[in-house]
Amino acid sequence: MILNRLKENLFQRYLVWIFRPARLRRYLKRELPRLSRPLPVTEGTTRVTALQVDLELYKNPLDYADQVHRRVKEAHRLGAQIVVFPEYNNLPLLGMLPGVDELDSKESRPGAAERAAISPADIFTFMTPAVMPFIDSLFSMLAGAYRIYIMAGSYPLADGKDLVNRAFLYGPGGELLGSQDKVHLLPMEMEWKMKRGSCFKSVKTSVGHMAMPVCMDATYFETFRLLETDGVDIALLPIANLEEYNYWLALRGIWPRVQESALYGVKSALVGTAAGFTFSGKAGIFAPLELTPHHNGVLAEAENPFGEAIVTADLDLKALHELRRNHPWRDTNPAIVKSLGEVYRMF
Amino acid sequence: MRLAALTLSGINLVSLNDYRLSLKRTILAAEAELVVLPAYSSLLLAFSCGRFNEIPTFKELLKIMPILVEQWNEEFINLHSDLASELGIYLVPGTYLENDNKKIYHSSCCFEPDGKISAVQRQTHLNREEREAGYSRGEELALFNVGKLKAGLLIGGDARHPETGRLLALRGADLVLHCAAYEAGLNCWTQAAGIWAQVQQNQFWAVEAPLCAKLADRTFAAAPIIHGPCEITPEKSGYLCRRYPGDSYAAGNTSEAARQALKKRYPLLGLLNPRAYASLNRTPKKEREQA
Repeated sequence: MILNRLKENLFQRYLVWIFRPARLRRYLKRELPRLSRPLPVTEGTTRVTALQVDLELYKNPLDYADQVHRRVKEAHRLGAQIVVFPEYNNLPLLGMLPGVDELDSKESRPGAAERAAISPADIFTFMTPAVMPFIDSLFSMLAGAYRIYIMAGSYPLADGKDLVNRAFLYGPGGELLGSQDKVHLLPMEMEWKMKRGSCFKSVKTSVGHMAMPVCMDATYFETFRLLETDGVDIALLPIANLEEYNYWLALRGIWPRVQESALYGVKSALVGTAAGFTFSGKAGIFAPLELTPHHNGVLAEAENPFGEAIVTADLDLKALHELRRNHPWRDTNPAIVKSLGEVYRMF
Repeated sequence: MRLAALTLSGINLVSLNDYRLSLKRTILAAEAELVVLPAYSSLLLAFSCGRFNEIPTFKELLKIMPILVEQWNEEFINLHSDLASELGIYLVPGTYLENDNKKIYHSSCCFEPDGKISAVQRQTHLNREEREAGYSRGEELALFNVGKLKAGLLIGGDARHPETGRLLALRGADLVLHCAAYEAGLNCWTQAAGIWAQVQQNQFWAVEAPLCAKLADRTFAAAPIIHGPCEITPEKSGYLCRRYPGDSYAAGNTSEAARQALKKRYPLLGLLNPRAYASLNRTPKKEREQA
């Protein structure tokens, strides 16, 4: 027992050392450009990029940093002012843990039961002190170097004694602009005793008023109504869907939400299999039907639900505001809203 | 339970008697226990039976129709009540306009198999054209029995407003009946953004009956659909039965056991987080600023 605790402490110290931000800063300093100004802005239009990230486990944090850097660099080359990463964006770093590769196998092996007895919540909690300062430094440096907004994806992490699924937004000065805890949890996350967020936050920027609900939050219309009420223009949504891809199942999230509440939606997806998890989904950029050329609510979408992809589109914020001002079919019924409020209170 | 959505496409509308016989044939062909007719059914029938002296535009029809409603509504309601009891089915006759205390409502109802009305529903959300025609909003959503199921009724654009479906679902609705009318065009995405999306986030069944007909200068067309949660429909599409725009009806059998099992396995409504919704009844910020 004592020996196990000692091993655990030593390994955690090793992780803190290998993930130390100073090491990352030295490494990235050689790689990063020195841009003095952000990309030119077309007034009223914002160019966004959504990433589809193929899940791969890394044994060296700097390899992970390289991959994140490569994607940000590509988004910058495409002229993006905002780039969006997926949910569970720290899963690739589970590769640092001994034995994680074996979780891929469905065969039962000696020790599998013991490994299964450790919940994912324990693993994420264990890794938080080492991984999160590294993540913060990485995205802060990249946002500052390329002078763009980066929604860094979301991360299951320990906040004190609570496990939360938290998304982060960095500004073009490298500053952390805001964070958002997932408000609607999956049954699996409830089993992990994850703590859900209690409200939605938003950030006003020169390229649009943004918010970052997380994955399951887009299953519920309430999320996007709240964002619209707050004046949000762009919802940046990281997802990691633990299911085989099906067009209709995938359609149930952000697509109907931007139809019900007039917003733009940018969805970044984690795909692939690793550490015993299989994810699917297509990165995409969505808009109200009235604002899409084919009247289908899609501005750009990855072709395949597997493998890496990058999609980019221009969001016309003026057109969005005009649609809201002069909407052809939207209405508000205070009596129904009041009744719904009463039902929520009884819930 | 077998449900059917009718579009009124192919129905003989020359006289009330022709309409009744033609509608009866289509209902019998659908072999359903519950049948839903589309929005503007009353307006279409009055128009086709020559109740208007001149052929006005659709916009003018919306304004003229309320003048006729008192005598016309009685004929319309009696006809469908008789048909429901004759066939022993639940029947939603589409929609009609009602005058109440100098206010005009776009309404529907549901007849029980004995011909009695079990619920009346007024449209709760109006589009710009309906507001300009002077219509008023209903302020409640009724819940009523259809066999062993609890049902609610939505009219026209109500289906694009998710507050309606959520309110019905949280009060226990198993089934939502939607009298619809979409101007002809590419409507598959509009339909998906409406009642399909409501079904997926509330896990109830829905019958979507859209009008397929020409009414004055406007043509309406969309697909009649029986909706269900993706997981318990073919190819996980959320469509228990979807026909082409212009088809006279769509019909499908629901499995309540499968829906209850899904709700137990994946309790979507149980995962709501109402504490986070405190500010939902605020006016949108941009509207406040404009005001």
